[in-house]
Amino acid sequence: MFKKLIEESTGKSPWLFHINAGSCNGCDIELVAVLTPRFDAERLGFKLTGSPRHADIVVVTGPVTNQSLPRVLRAISQVPEPRCIVTMGSCPQSGNVFRGSYSVAGPLSKYVHVDVDVAGCACKPEAVIDGLALATQILAEKRRAMK
Amino acid sequence: MSLVMDAIKYLVYILVFPGFLFCFLSGLLLCGIDRKIVARMQKRVGPPVLQPFYDFFKLCGKETIVPAAASRTTFLLAPLVGLAALVVIQLFIPVFNFSAFSGVADIIVILYLLLIPALSIIMGGAASGSPYAGVGLSREMVTIISVELPLVLVLLAVGKVVGNAMGTGLCFSLTQIVAWQAEHGSLIATPSMIVAAIAMLMVIPGETGNHPFDAAEAETEICEGMLAEYSGAPLGVYKLSHAVKMLTMTSLFVALFLGGIGGGIDRMLLSWGLTGGAAGVIAVLIGIVVLFVLCAIITIISISLIHAATARLRIEQIFKYYWTVVTGLAVISLVLAWYGM
Repeated sequence: MFKKLIEESTGKSPWLFHINAGSCNGCDIELVAVLTPRFDAERLGFKLTGSPRHADIVVVTGPVTNQSLPRVLRAISQVPEPRCIVTMGSCPQSGNVFRGSYSVAGPLSKYVHVDVDVAGCACKPEAVIDGLALATQILAEKRRAMK
Repeated sequence: MSLVMDAIKYLVYILVFPGFLFCFLSGLLLCGIDRKIVARMQKRVGPPVLQPFYDFFKLCGKETIVPAAASRTTFLLAPLVGLAALVVIQLFIPVFNFSAFSGVADIIVILYLLLIPALSIIMGGAASGSPYAGVGLSREMVTIISVELPLVLVLLAVGKVVGNAMGTGLCFSLTQIVAWQAEHGSLIATPSMIVAAIAMLMVIPGETGNHPFDAAEAETEICEGMLAEYSGAPLGVYKLSHAVKMLTMTSLFVALFLGGIGGGIDRMLLSWGLTGGAAGVIAVLIGIVVLFVLCAIITIISISLIHAATARLRIEQIFKYYWTVVTGLAVISLVLAWYGM
C-alpha cells in the first residue's frame, strides 16, 4: 500500500530546478511566467526549488556553453533518482542561432539523456506546461520501474 | 493487568491520538489549506488541498543523498528528533476537556520542547556542511531569539490572569487553564487577553518560519538554508515537522485563549441527555473536529493572509519587529493582567 501511495504521489508533486546554461534570459522569463497567477503551474503541484537535491525535474535553458557544461552536468548529477531532464527552448536542443560557435558545447543530448524537449524561441508558457506535464508522466513511470 | 491497560492507553495516545497519526493527518491538511487559501488570494487555482500529502509520499520514494562533507548519523537523525519533540508537545496540549498528559507546569515544558525542532534543524543543517546551511542556521538562531521573548511574555500573562482568578498567583498548567476556561468562559473575552491573543497571532508565523519571517529558509535566496543538502525521506520529515508545527502553535492558541468552547460542548451534550463514558468519547470526537476547524481559521488569519499580503523581511527587520511591536503588545497585556484586567 505504501509503495502504491508513493507511486501515485510521484506523478502529482513534481518539483522543478532551473539551470541557465548560457541562455539569453528569454526562456527563463517564460518559465517564471508559467508559475505566475495567470498560468499557475502550482495547480499541478509544480514548485520551483532552490537546491538541485530537492528537485524531480531539471529544466535546462540556453545553448550549453563550454563554461557552463561541467556545472550543468554536476548539478544534474546532484538530483536524486528518479529524475527527469527537460530542455527548454531551441538552444539546448540544436544550438539555435549559436550553433557552431566556438564557445558552445551543446546540444545537451550529447552529454546526458534528455527526456522532454520543449521547442520554441522563446517557447510559449502553454508549451512549457505541456512539456512539464509530459515529464511528470515519465517521472511516474521511472518511479514504477525502480524495483 | 491495569499496568498493561495503561501501557496500551499511552501507546494509543502517542501513536494515534493526539500523537503521531493525528499530527500527521491534520498538520499536512492545515498546510494544504494554507497553500490553497494563499493561491485563491492571489487569484490562482492553487494546488489540491491534499498536495502536502503527495509531496511527503513522493519525497519518501526519492533517493537520499548524503553529502561527502556531512556527518552521516547527525544528518539523518536530526529530522526525527525534531518531529518527535513536536509530537510530544501535541500530547501536552489539551483538546478541550481531554488531555493525554498533564502536569503542574506543562506550559514550561512546552516552551522548552518548542525549541527542539528549531535546534534539530540547526543541528541537521550544521551537519550537512553546506555554506547555505551556515547562513540559514545563523538566521534561524536570531529568529528563535526574536520570537521567544514575546511568546514567554504572552504565556506569563495568561498564567497570571488564570492564577489571579484561581487565587494561586501564577498558573502554568495548561490543563488547569483550559479547565478554568470551560467553567468561566474563554479568556479572549478579557481586555488584557485580547492584546495577548493579537501578540500570539503575530508570534505564530515567526515560530513556524512562515512568510514573511522565513529569512532562515529563504528558498529564492539561500536555497532553503539548512535544508539545502537534504533530499528524499529526511527532507520529507522536515516538511512534515513544519506542517505539524503549524498545528502545534495554532492548537496552543486555541488552548490558551479559546478553551471556553470545551464548556460549551459539555453543556450541549448535557442538554442532549448524554452522560457517562459515551458522552466523554463523543465530547472528544466533537472536540477534535472543533479544534481542527479553529486551527484552520487561525492558520488562515495568522499565516495565509500575512503570507499573501507581504514580502519577506530581512533578518534584522524580523528581530526589530518582534522586539518592538510584538514584545510591546505582550508587555501591555502583562501589565493589564497584573492589574487584574
